[in-house]
Amino acid sequence: MSALTFTLKQAPAQRVDCSALTPTALADKSVADIAAIELVMGNSTARVDSLFDITGDDVTDININNSTNKLDFIGHSMASGKITVNGDAGAYVGQFLEAGEITVAGNTDVYTACEMKGGQIKVNGNTGDFVGGARPGYKNGMTGGTVIIAGNSGDRTGDHMRRGMILIEGNAGDYCGTRMVSGTIAVLGQVGAHLGYAMKRGTLLLQQAPANGISANFNDCGSHTLAFLPLMLASFKKLDSKFAEIETFSRVQRYAGDLGGIGMGEILVKI
Amino acid sequence: MIINGVTIDETFAEAFPMKGTRLIITALNAKWAMISAQAFTGFATSVIACGCEAGIERELDETETPDGRPGVSVLIFAMGGKGLAKQVETRAGQCVLTSPTSALFSGLDSDEKEIPLGQNLRYFGDGFQISKMIDGKRYWRVPVMDGEFLTQEKTGVQNSVGGGNFLVLAESQAQALAACEAAIEEMKKIPNVIMPFPGGVVRSGSKVGSKFKALNASTNDAFCPTLKGQTNSELSPEVESVMEIVIDGLTKEDIDKAMKVGIQAVCDLGAENGIRRISAGNYGGKLGPFHFHLQEIMA
Repeated sequence: MSALTFTLKQAPAQRVDCSALTPTALADKSVADIAAIELVMGNSTARVDSLFDITGDDVTDININNSTNKLDFIGHSMASGKITVNGDAGAYVGQFLEAGEITVAGNTDVYTACEMKGGQIKVNGNTGDFVGGARPGYKNGMTGGTVIIAGNSGDRTGDHMRRGMILIEGNAGDYCGTRMVSGTIAVLGQVGAHLGYAMKRGTLLLQQAPANGISANFNDCGSHTLAFLPLMLASFKKLDSKFAEIETFSRVQRYAGDLGGIGMGEILVKI
Repeated sequence: MIINGVTIDETFAEAFPMKGTRLIITALNAKWAMISAQAFTGFATSVIACGCEAGIERELDETETPDGRPGVSVLIFAMGGKGLAKQVETRAGQCVLTSPTSALFSGLDSDEKEIPLGQNLRYFGDGFQISKMIDGKRYWRVPVMDGEFLTQEKTGVQNSVGGGNFLVLAESQAQALAACEAAIEEMKKIPNVIMPFPGGVVRSGSKVGSKFKALNASTNDAFCPTLKGQTNSELSPEVESVMEIVIDGLTKEDIDKAMKVGIQAVCDLGAENGIRRISAGNYGGKLGPFHFHLQEIMA
């Protein structure tokens, strides 16, 4: 068996809902069945084989080639297997992801890992806003799993995030960790303005001090040696990420906030 | 069977099923990890009155512990899962949480059953405690006066064996003790076992029952040298002192190995050092499902 490969024939004019093209949704389907699936595109539908050239038959290992940022909901509710996106991806990559791996070679649009429950998403480019966030009107963002962003993340990364990890190798945008309930966001690069705005609990782990400083809503708790950090950094070693190469450390400056709310969140800055 | 002049009795040790777990206690240095481990395993010689049996398995270096600090692995056993959970929680709360710089981790993964480790201790944090999921395992960071107490939420439980034993019959107290010390030295090298009594040695082996109604165990008079003329003694005139080594282990095979090296160490001292016999404690084979036949082990 070889990987099931969807090669986009030409960039679609309208957005395409790719939620039907996951290992979970395609289990037990023949290539002919898959070709006949109608995908929602704009205000109409289109057969899979009208949009993609299809090769291979292993539904647990899916490639999407020539991908563009018009392909939304890639890996939606996936519970196993692997999806590799060669190119950019649209909005809602890995929404409700339960298990398995999604790798995007390019950039992703908004709401990557929206309400993700488990598994791993690796974006080799940049992501849009609201990584790991909750849908508008919903209270719980991602509740498990790991998101690795090799580039930069957009604004409001981890909005309403409840569990899991978001690891950003580049920079994070404004309002990183906003309204976060729990979980961990680690950033190797810089962070934007309003870090941890309305954060309830959770950890923002920064490799370097924020250029914009720490918000007045966070109080300095002093410098500390925290035993969980070596444990957490050791867990990064198995990842395909710059985080695997970090020299272990446990010494950090700790800031608690957002004191405008319950103030149980923390920003840890490596010292 | 006679080894180096020491008679190995044709008898067996009778042991019981227990529930056990392994915990890893770490600290800033090996000294404080050991202090915490000793406190945790204190007053845990016998389930008869302690509620559990616990002991130090071995010291761990920085490469063997989850947080890269020096540590000690301890084993703790109880008659049931609930009893074990209670003992682990109270001991962890009073002896590890309180110990400077300590952290506490599970040393036993089990798919079948887990018991709380830091799951309830976290409330000591009074709402300031922080949870962290790392590699699928939940840890708790509890703020304490020296920094943070880090503990894993749960530890695995395994069906184990408690009460493996053998008796060393010698011509004097000093010779019996020296032989037991030699045995313990070798038995400590075997993984997955502990010898829960003080220094690994027990001088007050017991039999089931008593003439006093309130007691369900009493002195093993058949092996008490001062009663040779008063009771149905198991001891020959030359034997002046008997000491016992009790072994708890995660599996029967682990206890087999520990008994073998322990008895061998005693026999290596041999008759010339006053060791006369090796025997074992049992209840006629009716109470415990695990039988450790001395001669089979030493064959």
